[in-house]
Amino acid sequence: MHPMKPLAKTRYGLLLAACLPLQALAGAAVMLEFTPRTPEQMTAFYEARGFPEAMLKPLHQQCFITVRVTNTGDEVVWVDLDTWRFSVDGKPLRRYHRREWLEKWRDMGMRPAHRSTFRWTLMPEKLDYQPGESEGGNIILPRLSGTIRLQATFATGTDGKGPPLHREFDNLYCAEDTP
Amino acid sequence: MRHALFALLFLTGLLSLPAHAAGMPVPPPGVRVYDIGAAPDFELADIDGNRARLSDARGQWVFLHFWASWCGPCRREMPAIQRMAGRMRGQPLTLLLVNTAEDEDTIFSFMAGTAPDLNSLMDADGQVTEAWKPRGLPATYLVDPEGRVRYQALGGREWDQPEYLGFLKRLVADGANAAGPRD
Repeated sequence: MHPMKPLAKTRYGLLLAACLPLQALAGAAVMLEFTPRTPEQMTAFYEARGFPEAMLKPLHQQCFITVRVTNTGDEVVWVDLDTWRFSVDGKPLRRYHRREWLEKWRDMGMRPAHRSTFRWTLMPEKLDYQPGESEGGNIILPRLSGTIRLQATFATGTDGKGPPLHREFDNLYCAEDTP
Repeated sequence: MRHALFALLFLTGLLSLPAHAAGMPVPPPGVRVYDIGAAPDFELADIDGNRARLSDARGQWVFLHFWASWCGPCRREMPAIQRMAGRMRGQPLTLLLVNTAEDEDTIFSFMAGTAPDLNSLMDADGQVTEAWKPRGLPATYLVDPEGRVRYQALGGREWDQPEYLGFLKRLVADGANAAGPRD
C-alpha cells in the first residue's frame, strides 16, 4: 500500500464533500481475463478471412491465448508485453513478439490485408490504458502441455513512473482441440 | 479559514480539467481530449463504389470510426452508432465508418445485418487504419471542422445514450457558431 499522494488526498476530500462515489479512489488497478483458443478455433478464424495455407499452417502449431486488460482504477496503467514473464516449471517461455510474425508474413509476400487483420487481432505490445479502458487481443506462445505461469508488471501514472503493479497467474494453458 | 481553503481546492480541481482549459466541451466517460493536430487525410471507396475523402468534410465535425466484423466490441457498438446517426440527422456532423482490411462481401453482410442504414468505407489493405494508429478496434475519433483531431474514444461507446448524444450536439453547435453562418 502506497501512501496517498497530495493530489489524491485533495480529491478524496472533494469526493467526500460532494458525496460522490468513493470507488473513484481505487488508485492504480487492473483486471486481466484470459481465454485460451484451440488450434481449430484459430485456424477457422483466419481461414474465414481468406488467409492462405502458408499462414495458417505455422499459426496452427502455436498456442493462442486471448487476453483482455481492463484498467479498473483511476490512474493510467501501462501494458508493456516485454515486461511480462511466462514460464513453465520454472523455465522461461518465450512469447512471440508481433514483429516476428509481421516480418515473417512480409518476407513471405503475404497480402497487406491479411497482415493488417493479423496485426489487429494481436494484443498491443505497449499501450497506456486510460482509466476505464479495456483493450485486448491474442498473445502467441509456443504450443505445449502443462501449466503456464505469468508474472506481469504494469507501470502506472501518466509518465509510467508511478508505483508498479504486479500480477501473477499460474493457471494459464494452451487449449487443445477436442478429439 | 477551512471553508476558504476547501473552496480554493474545489476551484483548483475545476480549473485543472483540460477540456475546460481548451474551451472545448468536456467529453463524457470513455472519450478523451486528443489534440494531435491535423487529421491524416485519406480517400476510400464505400461498398456502393462511391469515393469519399476525409478532407471533403472540412467545415463539419467528423465522427470517424474504424471497425472490423470479427471484433466483438465493434459488433456491439455498431447498432448504437446507427441509432446515434438517426438522432443526429440534419446536424452538421459527417459520419465516416472505415472497415479495416476485410473484403466487400464480408462488409456488406455485416452492415446489412447489423446497421443497414449505414454505409462503410473500405480500407481494403488496412493501410489507412495503420496510418491512424488506433489503440485497438473499434476506434473512434472526432475531427473538428478545421480538420484537426480533437477527441478519441477509448473502445466501444454507447453513442446513442444521452451523455454521448448531448456531447456530440454541443460539439456541432459550437462548431456551427465558430464557423459562422454557412450557405
